[in-house]
Amino acid sequence: MKYAALIIPLLFAALFVYALIRKVRLYDCFTEGVKGAIPLVVSLFPYLVSVLILSELFEQSGLSARLTQGLAPVFRFLGIPPEIGKLVLLKPFSGSGSTALLSEILSAYGADSYIARCACVAYGSSETVFFISAVYFAGSRKNLTKPVLIALFSNFASLILGCLFCRIL
Amino acid sequence: MRMLRCAADIQYPMNIIFAAVFLAAAVIFLIADPEGFLPAMLAGGQKAATVSLALLASYCVWLGFFKVLEQSGLSDRLAKGLFPAARRLFRSDDREAVSLACQNLAANVLGLPGAPTPPGVAATQKFLNARNGYAADMLFVLNATSLQLLPTTVVALRAAAGAASPADIFLPTLLATLFSTLLGAVLVFVTRKRT
Repeated sequence: MKYAALIIPLLFAALFVYALIRKVRLYDCFTEGVKGAIPLVVSLFPYLVSVLILSELFEQSGLSARLTQGLAPVFRFLGIPPEIGKLVLLKPFSGSGSTALLSEILSAYGADSYIARCACVAYGSSETVFFISAVYFAGSRKNLTKPVLIALFSNFASLILGCLFCRIL
Repeated sequence: MRMLRCAADIQYPMNIIFAAVFLAAAVIFLIADPEGFLPAMLAGGQKAATVSLALLASYCVWLGFFKVLEQSGLSDRLAKGLFPAARRLFRSDDREAVSLACQNLAANVLGLPGAPTPPGVAATQKFLNARNGYAADMLFVLNATSLQLLPTTVVALRAAAGAASPADIFLPTLLATLFSTLLGAVLVFVTRKRT
């Protein structure tokens, strides 16, 4: 697993060597690419703000805690430990929020506990669906009901399966 | 005019979720802690500002990287190799858009933080301009069901929390994420509009 860290430096080194062989002027070219960064962030910024304000309200109002409590029987029925319910609800909105929550769960229940393992699978096998939909479709007028529902459903189904794997693997 | 346009967008699920969560949170704050409402919203804004700066930093690095990839001719060569398969996945003959989508998927699989977004956004815009909603949906669902093969964040957090063997979460996570991606792709395919 520690070899994973090698990917990024290797990728850059290999690309730059190849580019030099192909006589690309690296500095000019790299700088040219960077020019696009500020316009990209500016175009995403308003959507980011709305989604993050929403996820903050969701958490701080206690809404996520109440929903987690209400949904606990459902989670239990599906084989998902209710202790990770909050993580499951928060992950579609906020990457940084769910990272913080995951490390809380890890220290509260112990990194090798069943609950913590399920939390890791929940975190690792899903993505920030609302965040990504806001970023990728920023400003488009497309109806996103279908793709968002498909993504949420697939992530949830794989979570049920992932908790099952944690029990048997 | 502006109001009308916003009202017409009600189909987008984000509008419904935004209204529901916002109103429910406002009511709870009103009853329990009226003074906490504004600070909660400001905390969200603060986070957005911090996250934007972090994103800006990683977009700078990766946009530079992708420009070098493009000018060296490597992205064309990669696209040529992947085009026959990717063309069928996205049902698109737009070589440039499909190439961007492939770069997005590759960055996702390798788990390069921040790297998938620039080509992903560009590909989505190209697909939407070509009125290929199917390709845009497919790309979004592949991104939103996680393609990352090595759950590096999880392993790092588990190691920090003192797990006996931090990487033993790898197999269940991989199986779950492969399943979610496959299920998502199949659902997009099955629910496509037939033309």
